[in-house]
Amino acid sequence: MEMDRSLVSGSMALLVMKLLEGSDMYGYQMIETLKQRSDDTFHLKAGTLYPLLHSLEEKGLVSAYEREAAAGKPRRYYHLTEEGRAALAEKEAAWNQYARAVTRVLKGGVCCGEA
Amino acid sequence: MEKPDTIRSYLEAVAEQIRWRRARPVVTWELERHLEDQRDAFAAEGHENAEAMAVAEMGDPVSVGAELDRMHRPRPQWGLLALAILLALAGTVLRVWLTADWDTYYMDVNPYKAALAFLLGGGALLAGYFLDYGKLGRRGGWIYLGALVVSFLLLVASPKTLNGVRYYLRYAVLLYPLAYVLWVYACRKKGWLGLLAAMAGVLPLLWFCQYAPSTLGAFLLLSTGTLVLLVAAWQDWFGLGRQKTLWVTAACTGAAGIAGVRYIFRNAYTSTRLAAFLHPEQFLDGAGYHTFQIRSAVSGARWLGQGSWNPENPYPLTVSGSDSDTFLTTLIHRLGWLPFLAVVLAFAALAVWILLRCLRQSSQLGKAVVLAALLPLCIQSLFSTAWNLGFTLLSSPFPLITGNTSTVLDLFLIGLCLSVFREERIARDSAYDYHKVRLPRYRIKIMIQKV
Repeated sequence: MEMDRSLVSGSMALLVMKLLEGSDMYGYQMIETLKQRSDDTFHLKAGTLYPLLHSLEEKGLVSAYEREAAAGKPRRYYHLTEEGRAALAEKEAAWNQYARAVTRVLKGGVCCGEA
Repeated sequence: MEKPDTIRSYLEAVAEQIRWRRARPVVTWELERHLEDQRDAFAAEGHENAEAMAVAEMGDPVSVGAELDRMHRPRPQWGLLALAILLALAGTVLRVWLTADWDTYYMDVNPYKAALAFLLGGGALLAGYFLDYGKLGRRGGWIYLGALVVSFLLLVASPKTLNGVRYYLRYAVLLYPLAYVLWVYACRKKGWLGLLAAMAGVLPLLWFCQYAPSTLGAFLLLSTGTLVLLVAAWQDWFGLGRQKTLWVTAACTGAAGIAGVRYIFRNAYTSTRLAAFLHPEQFLDGAGYHTFQIRSAVSGARWLGQGSWNPENPYPLTVSGSDSDTFLTTLIHRLGWLPFLAVVLAFAALAVWILLRCLRQSSQLGKAVVLAALLPLCIQSLFSTAWNLGFTLLSSPFPLITGNTSTVLDLFLIGLCLSVFREERIARDSAYDYHKVRLPRYRIKIMIQKV
């Protein structure tokens, strides 16, 4: 299922940083992993990903290095920095709070729907 | 604009949007790898037009290029540029002003020559600032060989001063640490042979230092070279493993250090200089005399204003090099300790600022170039400050303050440091080894119309 773009764009940095929390990855690998983990929901365009990665690198949230990938071809890997991990924890907490609030409202709100 | 359907045309369309030319190959390199992966994946799935599909997956090249263009702009270094120019200007004005009444001894600094050196220095600063230091890295071997050829020509052509100094070569040695670092960078990824060549590369330059002769040049080369070799070993530039390279490098540089110390103590000239440095009172009829005069000038100085001096001995004639390497003593004597401290601290602030920025660099080449430019300037400033306070081990011009030719070279080296910071957004070490996407300068469009 294709998601509404406006819903995805705001949270893209969070998703990319979450991917990098487990291991360092290169761009193509990130897109494929995101597709798999979201059960084909997120089809992130490379044209969106790379400017985002470069802006995260500029802010010091990720760092990059070049290394040969499994197929022997050189790739640019991204690594979540300590600063990036702290920012991810903050963003995750904010997102969870936001998601809970949206779910509550969709279910009718605390006063009316939920016990 | 037609939609691109090949990897090459897509990359060209993206690159066209990026105004900073030097950023283009760095940015498109990563996109190219991505497109290749996507194309291979589509091909593996059995699609015939895999390349066109991969290009379509990427998104609009114009908006991608525009976004990347916004992100990849050079970082202007106005603060550091201004500080370097201000220091050089202060040096020029002070040298002309404080020596203006020494014309009776023919020791007044020529204001036209000083102004010309300042202007040339400004040009050298900008030349270094706009230089693509990545190109220096890619052509490190050629630059090193060029330095050897130029040094040989200077050795032959340079006029000799009364004490046998080869005038031109003495200044050229200030650039040796940079040439050597580029040589070490050129030896990367070449295994044992590379490590051996990197270490042996110091010898020809050292030979020229000996013939300049310039003990300071040799010291700058050896100290910067040792540090850069150790950094290269730590970062495993030669691909032999960090620990192994570190042991070999430390052993070889340690052995060279021991040989150097033995040379200092066995050589009559250097051992006398060292003894005069430690006990100047025992050499008052020789090397210790300069020390004594410098210490006399400094001891009579005030915080602000002219210090005391025995009027029977004309200051410019008594204090050797008072218009050049001992000019800071003149500054202390004529204007006081506060102006001296202001000059030294301003340079220290510039050096620390550059060093802190250097430590933040991700590019190994960038770091090495800044170290090769900054370290000699810092060492010169330390020797010069010590000399001008009466601890006369090695004389040296104080960077940006004393000397015409040396100021021009100093400004070039600082400009080179700033070029590294200016380009830090696109600093990629491995990208230097990959090919560029070259945009066609002209495009010919052929349209065939059916009549």
